[in-house]
Amino acid sequence: MPCLTAAFCASISYLKYLLAFGCSREPVCHGAAGMGNKQTIFTSQQLDAYQDCTYFTRKEILRLFHRYRDLAPQLVPLDYTNQPDVRLPYELIGSMPELKDNPFRQRIAEVFSEDGEGNMTLDDFLDMFSVLSEMAPRDLKAYYAFKIYDFNNDDFICKSDLEKTLNKLTRNELTEDEVRMVCEKVIDEADLDNDGRLSLEDFQHMIVRAPDFLRLHNTYCPDM
Amino acid sequence: MLRQIYDQSSRMRRMSVFPQHGAALGHLGLSANEIRQEVENNTSELVSDLVNQSARARFQAIRSLPMPFSERKIIRNRVNSVKQSKTIIPTNCGQQVSRSFRRFRAGLASARQYLIIWHDTLKDIGGRFGTSVLSYFLFLKWLLKFNLFSLIINFCFITIPQIVHAPNISSVTGFRGLELLTGVGYFNQTVLYYGGYNGEVIVSKPGYNMQLAYFFTIAAYLVLCGVSLIYSMSRSFQKNFVLDTGPVSGGAWRLLCSWDFSVVNEKAIQYNKNNLAIQLKESLSERLQEKNKMDLSDRIKHLSLNVLAWLLSLGLAVGCSAGIYFLGTDPELAFSFNHSPNDLTAEASTLLLPVVVSIINLIVPILYSLISKIESYSNPRAKIYISIVRNVILKMSILGILCFYWLDFVPNSVSCWESFVGQSVYRLLIFDFIFCLIGIFYGEFLLNVIGTRCIQSLGVPEFDIARNVLDLIYAQTLAWIGIYFSPLLPVMQVLKLFIIFYLKKISLSMNCQPPKHSGRAAQIQTVFIALLFFPSFVGALSMVAFTVWSLKPSSECGPFQGLDTPFHTIFSWTASIQGPSETNWVWWIFENILRSELFYYLISLIILVITYFLWQITEGRKQLINTLRQQIVNDYDQTPHFNPNWMNTLPLDM
Repeated sequence: MPCLTAAFCASISYLKYLLAFGCSREPVCHGAAGMGNKQTIFTSQQLDAYQDCTYFTRKEILRLFHRYRDLAPQLVPLDYTNQPDVRLPYELIGSMPELKDNPFRQRIAEVFSEDGEGNMTLDDFLDMFSVLSEMAPRDLKAYYAFKIYDFNNDDFICKSDLEKTLNKLTRNELTEDEVRMVCEKVIDEADLDNDGRLSLEDFQHMIVRAPDFLRLHNTYCPDM
Repeated sequence: MLRQIYDQSSRMRRMSVFPQHGAALGHLGLSANEIRQEVENNTSELVSDLVNQSARARFQAIRSLPMPFSERKIIRNRVNSVKQSKTIIPTNCGQQVSRSFRRFRAGLASARQYLIIWHDTLKDIGGRFGTSVLSYFLFLKWLLKFNLFSLIINFCFITIPQIVHAPNISSVTGFRGLELLTGVGYFNQTVLYYGGYNGEVIVSKPGYNMQLAYFFTIAAYLVLCGVSLIYSMSRSFQKNFVLDTGPVSGGAWRLLCSWDFSVVNEKAIQYNKNNLAIQLKESLSERLQEKNKMDLSDRIKHLSLNVLAWLLSLGLAVGCSAGIYFLGTDPELAFSFNHSPNDLTAEASTLLLPVVVSIINLIVPILYSLISKIESYSNPRAKIYISIVRNVILKMSILGILCFYWLDFVPNSVSCWESFVGQSVYRLLIFDFIFCLIGIFYGEFLLNVIGTRCIQSLGVPEFDIARNVLDLIYAQTLAWIGIYFSPLLPVMQVLKLFIIFYLKKISLSMNCQPPKHSGRAAQIQTVFIALLFFPSFVGALSMVAFTVWSLKPSSECGPFQGLDTPFHTIFSWTASIQGPSETNWVWWIFENILRSELFYYLISLIILVITYFLWQITEGRKQLINTLRQQIVNDYDQTPHFNPNWMNTLPLDM
């Protein structure tokens, strides 16, 4: 009985996959792992490298590639075998439905992009969704969350970083006094070595006391 | 190893701010070349570290490296080339085999996703309403798994043999619609209830003893449930109630740790922003308020109001329980126990008790929330916990009085009393379901209409997680109690949970908004699992255990007819296996270990000693944490640090 259910579910999902892609796409390798190299977008070494360095399977990587390409079909070629240097500007990345309402979308794009300005290559794009997916461990998420909240990139979350974070999260509801008091309170509570700003260790120590952190810092991958 | 990577990347970034040459900048003390050399050393160390690990750990480690993608790829390529140069077996073949094995495992893991029911729906809910509402639906799914498992084993081990070898039980009445509500009539002598089973030994190649099968299936299921609950509870406790040393005031962590990245809906994000602002304001005002100590008369007033509220709540609970007991033992109602099967009115009058119980479960929590408005608490979390405790006391006292009624009054009044108890549980579950539907319609839909059209100040109703979860726990307790008396009862529970999942989801999207105070969702989750274990499962288990151990089963129906207690079937079984020498050890274990009290005293003593040792270890670790914390502060004060304001320290004439 479990085998029948499994076969049934697998066939339904296969149908769903086919219907989702429709006829207008290039033939993409579908099905479970190891079903043949019919796709021509990446070489097999490239796909292996992606699979080894991110938390995604082959199918998910190809889906993400198509999402990336859908943002700007005229800029992104269908053939990545010779590693073209294509960077999508931040405006396109920030318009994705998963990110467009996130108050930190600009910081997320800046942290994961190579040039630090938010213009992302395919590698950066995959990296971003890999870290934000459910399979990334807590330490990795904590490291990147720290970088996201560190607006001036000095490896410490100082008071001005906290104020900017607070302003992104609440617009006009808190007065200036209240903003200042909240930031002081955060530093009071979390700063272990008393230097007036939060280092990565302080941040990680705080994460340990917030068990919801792992669950809250997931952005569900597109179409998955 | 990872710490060095963090340091290295930060040092490289700092290096790029300053000019390439010269150590004229004081504290850095290292030139650019030296830093590059150190980076190279660290990288080689990392690569050799990775090479020495097993393949699976290695790839996990590579994926979790906190560096940009290109650097990760470089490390991966270096690791692969080092690995290649080390292996003796022809590299292509070995690497390909291991790689395809890894891909296969990953493919299996992702294929497993499709077998998980509701995977996409749950993601959608989490994206629109946040993680605390999602926890309700996950709890529902978890309960569904318990019931599904019970259904499968009961059906396979008890029902199928009974159906296949059944004596001719002809139903006394045809199917009328009332059966669905009362569970009697057509369903009465079927395998739905205890009375539909007989305890014969089925003659087959190894004889299949129905008595033992019935007993062991139910016992095994309850034991597995208990183990699973204890395991989940301890895991949840470990994750969510981490040692809280250091400053514990709970306000500021919200800023950095509580923003829900998984929400993608614009309205929901705006809503979360407003909530965060409100919570920050509240925590600020709490801090200010702590500084004002209340004077004595205020404190006495608050205390007396609290005591009054508690007395009222407990009084209501006790009153309701007494009312239910008197209703159940009412002579006019009790006459309907032994009615003829064609008497519809008498059958319908058995519905009175479940309706009353469901009305109490619906109305009294509303009364409790009204009562709690007269009190004031310093802490909104205390308010939530106290309301949960009161509701739990109410529901458990209702269930307790019902159990007492079923075990004390009913066996002396009804002929096939186990079937009667099974039917009562069935009726209670059906009416709980009907009132849940009514609650969704009136409680959420109408309140939404009223709140948005008529009385604007009420607003959209909040989705009350605590009340919904307690309803689920109550229904599950009933299901656990009813398994012994009605082995196929999980069918109803499974159907009910399925329907409730979809209805709640629709109602949530149309009518409700997520709760305002969603902080510490993980801790409340642990509390719910603990509640599922402690009053709910333990209570059901003790009731079933009492029935099996001490009550005389009815003599006309059921698998245990004729025995003194159902447990005697074990005695006769062990007596029967005493003879042949290869099974003698089972009898020996049973007789001398499980039945002797000394064994249990010894076990309890050993467990107490171990607990005491572990507690002492915990105390020691707490002290160690405090010492280390102090050491961090001392270390920072002593080492020279890079002062970002170093330019201000230069003499002015430079």
